Amino acid sequence: MQIWISSEELESVKNQFEGINVEEGENFTSLTVDKNSLLNLLVYLKNSLGYKHFIDLFCIDYPLHKPRFQGIYILFNPEKNRRVAVKCWAEEDSLPSVVHIWKGAKWAEREAWDMFGVSFDGHENLVRMFLWEGYKYHPLRKDFPLKGIEDTYLPSLNLRPDEIPAHNYNPYHTKVPTLEDIERTQKSRMEKKNQIVLNWGPLHPGTHGTIWFLFDMEGEYVKNCDIILGQLHRGVEKIAENLTYTQFIPYTDRMDYISALCSQVAYVNAVEKLLGIDPPEKAKYIRTMMCELQRINSHLLWLGTFALDLGALTIFLYAFREREKIMDIIEGIAGIRLNSSYIRIGGVAKDLPDGALDVISHFIKDFPEKLEEYETILTKNRVWLKRNVDVGIIKKDDVYSYGLTGVVARSAGIPYDIRMVQPTDAYDKVDFEIPLGKVGDCYDRYLLRMEEMRQSLSIIAQCVEKLKNMEGKEYIATDYSNVLPTLEEVFNSIESMVKDFTLRVYGEKTTDGEVYLSGENPRGELGFYINSKGEGRPYRMRIRSGAFYNLQIFPELIKGRTIADAVAILGSLDPVVGETDR
Amino acid sequence: MAVKHNNGIILTTVEEVLSWGRRNSLWPASVGLACCAIEMMHTAASRFDTDRLGIIFRGSPRQSDVLIVAGTVVNKVAPMLKLIYDQMPDPKWVISMGGCSSAGGPFPTYATLQGVDRIIPVDVYVPGCPPTPQALLWGIMELQKKIKAKKEGKVWEEIPVKEVPTASQPIKEKSPLGF
Repeated sequence: MQIWISSEELESVKNQFEGINVEEGENFTSLTVDKNSLLNLLVYLKNSLGYKHFIDLFCIDYPLHKPRFQGIYILFNPEKNRRVAVKCWAEEDSLPSVVHIWKGAKWAEREAWDMFGVSFDGHENLVRMFLWEGYKYHPLRKDFPLKGIEDTYLPSLNLRPDEIPAHNYNPYHTKVPTLEDIERTQKSRMEKKNQIVLNWGPLHPGTHGTIWFLFDMEGEYVKNCDIILGQLHRGVEKIAENLTYTQFIPYTDRMDYISALCSQVAYVNAVEKLLGIDPPEKAKYIRTMMCELQRINSHLLWLGTFALDLGALTIFLYAFREREKIMDIIEGIAGIRLNSSYIRIGGVAKDLPDGALDVISHFIKDFPEKLEEYETILTKNRVWLKRNVDVGIIKKDDVYSYGLTGVVARSAGIPYDIRMVQPTDAYDKVDFEIPLGKVGDCYDRYLLRMEEMRQSLSIIAQCVEKLKNMEGKEYIATDYSNVLPTLEEVFNSIESMVKDFTLRVYGEKTTDGEVYLSGENPRGELGFYINSKGEGRPYRMRIRSGAFYNLQIFPELIKGRTIADAVAILGSLDPVVGETDR
Repeated sequence: MAVKHNNGIILTTVEEVLSWGRRNSLWPASVGLACCAIEMMHTAASRFDTDRLGIIFRGSPRQSDVLIVAGTVVNKVAPMLKLIYDQMPDPKWVISMGGCSSAGGPFPTYATLQGVDRIIPVDVYVPGCPPTPQALLWGIMELQKKIKAKKEGKVWEEIPVKEVPTASQPIKEKSPLGF
């Protein structure tokens, strides 16, 4: 399926602009342009060719090249379902800002500045995105070590009787900011113009993680708002550059910990595209089924916490009751409850155990009743309606401008769903519908997620039907040279043992190449851009997080509303900090 | 504690009553940092239900006496977490939940704090990535034993790493016959 820009459009771009270098490929098509004509090209792509949906912006570091940094923009055409990537070398370590074309570039540019030190001319307030003001380094540069610079004496406080630290690790540590540093970071974000600046978070139970909100308030009304992220920035993209492709799978779980399986599937699909691996039919159905189970699981957590924030404690307990059932199913299949590293390159880690399909069938029979129970309590509840209807309305233009994806985009009536745009696994073989919103308010997003759970149930039912006839079939394509053999094969044949050893030590050998592939996470489009230089590990891995871009519209939505709406709007956007901060 | 002649008189010390009260009403501050927070919520919710052990999550550090550090502590959040710990009234205890907060876990990077015990003292380490709700309950019960031992003036013996229960290796009860 052709997803990247067509050759006719490429011709028209070439005619319009001089000196454009085109790299065409099945997995990635990019236009390289010089810095002076970058803005003109982007405006041309947006206005004339219809590439108006902003997907991502990030940088790559080539220490030996001059200029050193390269910026990459990924855009999407919603009418023709085509993507395009634009590359531009950052001469003198700076690029022109595109915030006036797409508002969603604001945070991405801050992130590029934070991680690489690339400045953006014309950006309104280029401050650090994840780290704090006063941090000296730009950590994603190739010459910065993964461990950081350990220059602060910070030993363990837990001393044993004979004064030995509880751990025998290095007493020196990377720099930890002081409260003054944190305060400086806060001051750099927002100036007080009204009565009071209210801090919300980062360690507040209502912020769904560790997000830090600043509200500039006039009475009860929010006049200005900014968000400080980075309270869970763990350096996942840097870790990816130091690990083999298989070793990175557990980290995808810990990014978006509520929908671990969906993240794994999105990542593994991208790697498989890069390595040219086609998983067996059974693995595809298992993946689709597990993804949808995880989607229900994720939406249930969203429902529970969202309702809890708006004062409905009962729903929280009810939703967690159902979640425990799904967690048990996942534990039975994958072996781990929450961060199940179940998906492997080339298939899945284990075959379905006996009785797994029966349990899932029981669950899908049982669950619609529970869904009705939730809806009886909430959907027509007067308090629920007052808190949700016409709160946080998202317009269609905002979706393209901010790069919104997932339920947040669909609530505004934009049918953007990766499962339809670029179906992976078995999504093109199952039948499902994509619910769309009309107004784009919190209530629409609530209804949409409830309907999505029903659609997921129908997908799971179809997968279970298919999988019943596939008992005993191959679940991982170990014939490929880059797929790890199963445990049984390793113990029974010397070739497999050697292959296992080489793959684990040296990683999956590939040719040079780039790939961008995304999956439909419960939170939006989770995209993986992998740049490979033929080593066993990626040269650069960019994780396009749905929640990161979705959260960006929050200040716009809360402006002019009361502070009480903050929880409703935030809950309906449903961010997960592990994914926004990475 | 001593019961005298079974006619309604109980002799005890103030210390003992306080310790009994403290260990049976541990109120944790509801601070969630990362993945472990989800398992912490599961521990508190329907199935495992910590309320039956007298554990009620509080929204304010001023009302709580246990800090469950659930998730990765990164450098940027470390001073704020320490602030929360400082705001809690004495006596207070800390449970480090999961590999990340105990020793950095799978994130040996520039941004992550390698062990929360570098900024606040920890009483109980619960292993796992993330620990199951059962493991967290085990950690809380270990803390209760520790509080009890301190009152009785005994030295709390550390548990060797090999004997810490995990999801795949549950707590081994020694049989009375010594098998």
